[in-house]
Amino acid sequence: MYKHILESAGNINWMAIFALGTFFFIFSVSAIMAFKSDKGKLNHMSNLPLQEDDPIVNS
Amino acid sequence: MSKIETFSYDNKIVRNFGVATAIWGLVGMLVGLIAALQLIWPEMNFTTQYITFGRLRPLHTNAAIFAFVGNGIFTGVYYSLQRLLKTRMFSDLLSKVHFWGWQLIIVAAAITLPLGITSSHEYAELEWPIDIAIALVWVVFGINMFGTILKRRENHLYVAIWFYIATWVTVTVLHIGNNLEIPVHMWKSIPVFAGVQDALVQWWYGHNAVAFFLTTPYLGLMYYFLPKAANRPVYSYKLSIVHFWALIFIYIWAGPHHLLYTSLPDWAQSLGSVFSLMLIAPSWGGMLNGLLTLRGAWDRVRRDPILKFMVVAVTAYGMSTLEGPLLSIKSINAISHFTDWTVGHVHIGTLGWNGMLTFGVLYWLWPRLYNTKLHSVSLANTHFWLGTLGVMFYAIPLYWAGWTQSMMWKKFTPDGFLAFGNFLETVTQIIPMYMIRALGGTIYLLGAIIMVYNLWKTAKAGTLVENVEASAPARETYKSHTGDHWHRWIERRPVQMLIFSTIAILIGGMVEVFPMLLIDENVPKIASVQPYTPLEIEGRDIYIREGCISCHSQMVRPFRSETERYGEYSKSGEFIYDRPFLWGSKRTGPDLHRVGEKYPHSWHYNHMYDPESMSPGSIMPAYPWLINQEINTAYTPAKVNVLKMLNTPYDDGYAERAVADLEAQAKTIADELRDQGIEQENLEQKEIVALIAYLQRLGTDIKPDPVTENR
Repeated sequence: MYKHILESAGNINWMAIFALGTFFFIFSVSAIMAFKSDKGKLNHMSNLPLQEDDPIVNS
Repeated sequence: MSKIETFSYDNKIVRNFGVATAIWGLVGMLVGLIAALQLIWPEMNFTTQYITFGRLRPLHTNAAIFAFVGNGIFTGVYYSLQRLLKTRMFSDLLSKVHFWGWQLIIVAAAITLPLGITSSHEYAELEWPIDIAIALVWVVFGINMFGTILKRRENHLYVAIWFYIATWVTVTVLHIGNNLEIPVHMWKSIPVFAGVQDALVQWWYGHNAVAFFLTTPYLGLMYYFLPKAANRPVYSYKLSIVHFWALIFIYIWAGPHHLLYTSLPDWAQSLGSVFSLMLIAPSWGGMLNGLLTLRGAWDRVRRDPILKFMVVAVTAYGMSTLEGPLLSIKSINAISHFTDWTVGHVHIGTLGWNGMLTFGVLYWLWPRLYNTKLHSVSLANTHFWLGTLGVMFYAIPLYWAGWTQSMMWKKFTPDGFLAFGNFLETVTQIIPMYMIRALGGTIYLLGAIIMVYNLWKTAKAGTLVENVEASAPARETYKSHTGDHWHRWIERRPVQMLIFSTIAILIGGMVEVFPMLLIDENVPKIASVQPYTPLEIEGRDIYIREGCISCHSQMVRPFRSETERYGEYSKSGEFIYDRPFLWGSKRTGPDLHRVGEKYPHSWHYNHMYDPESMSPGSIMPAYPWLINQEINTAYTPAKVNVLKMLNTPYDDGYAERAVADLEAQAKTIADELRDQGIEQENLEQKEIVALIAYLQRLGTDIKPDPVTENR
């Protein structure tokens, strides 16, 4: 049945390859850029949750 | 240096959402527990039609997902967003509209679902007026969130906020996509898509409800509250960047793993499987990032119940995101699908990941909101152990039950017959596991009750700090520097973040869903498959109203163990008039796709009146009201008209004759019932007749003609 659908829909193999390619692109670019980024900025970003000072009575 | 500005954080809205989280959490868990007990003692609906398992199950799932976890999301988002951006929420009025609007939607769900008003799309059961209300409230939330982001004093958007943005945009797309429906009247609509297309769109939605409602916003909460509780920054901010982009891009593709071995085209199934397996990488990246945040603080985990809750939550996240991809492998799915294994899996996620993280966040927040100490750390520790044991006592028996039942379904005798030909044998075998599961649910609920008491006492001991004074430098206009890289650029630009996130999640949706919709004409048509008659339409709507889909599938998979038990495997061309599709996702009872003409009408009549009279030991509840209630034909012509508008090939003007046709068919069935010994006044007007008409039609369009077969 699926063969029939594939034939009828034309060549759709490109979709899977396109999807994989796009993912590879997004993953690679985000990984490369994340690891190339400035340490000072990353440090600032990762400390953002710890900056504000709500009263902490508990433990 | 910019001048320092003073402002205040709105804590009252955080408290309100927190209270709603706790209350709806108890309600959702209690409904789940009642539903679990009904699977042991079906009479626990007390012959009331409004609380049968079929109607309670969607109430439970909606309460757990949208009421408990939904309010949990908003609690965490409203607290963290203000502080991460160093500004008050954009509008207090919008915050209030959001809060009360969301609670009203929950109340509307709690009223309509027991009344049987349901679209039958899992986790999207609410009917169209409530769908519109959800969309409006969601937009209010979006305006409030983006307004806050735009008036921020902190240039950079912390990773938690990216997860919030991705959540908002994806839930918007999913909610619209899966609720494209045409109203028949105030409380009934018919979906635009049918059969295979409806199934694909539904599970594209269904899985991403898990992904973008139960996961991404909670990852945002993890990235904020875990560092807060541990008092140290996230282990690797770089990893969080990769985690975010990889996760939101891949997650959107995974939906078709809910439809393996069904009539969905194989290429879509394969895409779903492959992307599900790929999900292990970003999911475990996130889990490890969470756990490693506790490096050097593990000694505190021994003492601090908040960290204990968070560690178990993140571990449960890791376990369920390993298990999910494994269940997406076709050979494993062949065993797990339609069994309690799936139910166990999702509860590791909801009870373990969402529940435990919510508890940790509430315990962390409450003393701060009320400027006091937590009433009792030892009660929180007790809750932690009850919660952890509750999850284990819940999930382990269901893994056992799922595996046991699946093996029994598939077992053949040496002579080639099904070893357990009577489906009921495979149900009664796992009742003890259902009992232990209910015990696990009770333990978990008990822990949550202790938490509510503890939080209530904490609140009583302190005073709510409605507004927290704060100060921060005004936001500087950022000047770009040579060597700036793209991610720092995007971190400062929420609108671009929104656009990129949207593109990332749309790629998967478009590649998977669009071909299925565009090649609509190429779903193999089967000449003998005809539209439902008006009586069958009404019977089908009764089937939907009663939530039969909660326990019965309509999808015979192409396995010998299934074709032997049920008959010919299901073909996609058989569902082209099914709006909505009713394939189901769980077999507490047998598949019904080939039940048509299998039993006489009287069998169905007696079975619905008292299931045990036909199947001793059955855990199906009785449906005596179907015998007494009359078929509502007021909207039958409108239903026919909407179906015709959606290309169901009824003749022009057929709607005007629909009720007459319905009455004629009902009379025929009623006469046959009388011939089979059923005596009842005005039988032809009763709902049971419509339901019998529908059940007897199921799967019969392609049954081989016995005359031809014998020739």
